[in-house]
Amino acid sequence: MLIAGRASGMTVGLIVGLILAVILLKFGNTNRKFKTEYDERQKEIRGMAYTYGFYAMAIYEAAMLLLSAAEIELPVENYILHFGAIAVGCTVSCVYSIWKGAYWGLNNDHRRYKAIIAVCIVLNMLPLIGLFRGESLMENGKIGMPMLNIMVLIMLAAAGVTYLIRQAVDRKETEEE
Amino acid sequence: MKNLRLKAARAAKDLSQDELARRCGVSRQTMSAIEKGDYNPTINLCIAICRELDKTLDELFWPVE
Repeated sequence: MLIAGRASGMTVGLIVGLILAVILLKFGNTNRKFKTEYDERQKEIRGMAYTYGFYAMAIYEAAMLLLSAAEIELPVENYILHFGAIAVGCTVSCVYSIWKGAYWGLNNDHRRYKAIIAVCIVLNMLPLIGLFRGESLMENGKIGMPMLNIMVLIMLAAAGVTYLIRQAVDRKETEEE
Repeated sequence: MKNLRLKAARAAKDLSQDELARRCGVSRQTMSAIEKGDYNPTINLCIAICRELDKTLDELFWPVE
């Protein structure tokens, strides 16, 4: 009963999240289009980024498969392990795109996007307040729900750090010109 | 190989990489990559750059011996 409730809660959360993402993406683009536009080089880089993201996911899933075959059970809920594949793939794709200079689309409003990311960080930190109060990360002896938010925050942190380093490198190169 | 002719033509027009990129409908990073020789643009982008800088394809992109 509790599991079914959680699954339906997650489904509702995902649907609301998707609707919010569409609204926020439209809000974040200067021409109010949902789709971000990229130039020819950026499209090429993003293609490579998706490729590396796919490989990373495949390697992750293969590792999970081996662990499962060896009957090694991790103290982590199954849905967290599955989300791990998404997180790894997205992080690799995102970090590669940022590092290769394909981070801003042609129609992105940088300030609004930064605001959207800040909102994402806050939304993902809210469920973790309990942890700071001393609540456990474990549910029924396994790492549970809050880990999803931690993984998203790690993804955002990885993208953020890559972006800051890239910005510094770009600035140095512009000064040298 | 760096495209110094493109860089010189842009400087002669007193355009920043950012401004030329915006006029050609690409990102600044892409324009920078073309100047550094890290990216080979398509013919459409070459033409757009040439139009903005009042140069021919030969003048900016044909390899010099």
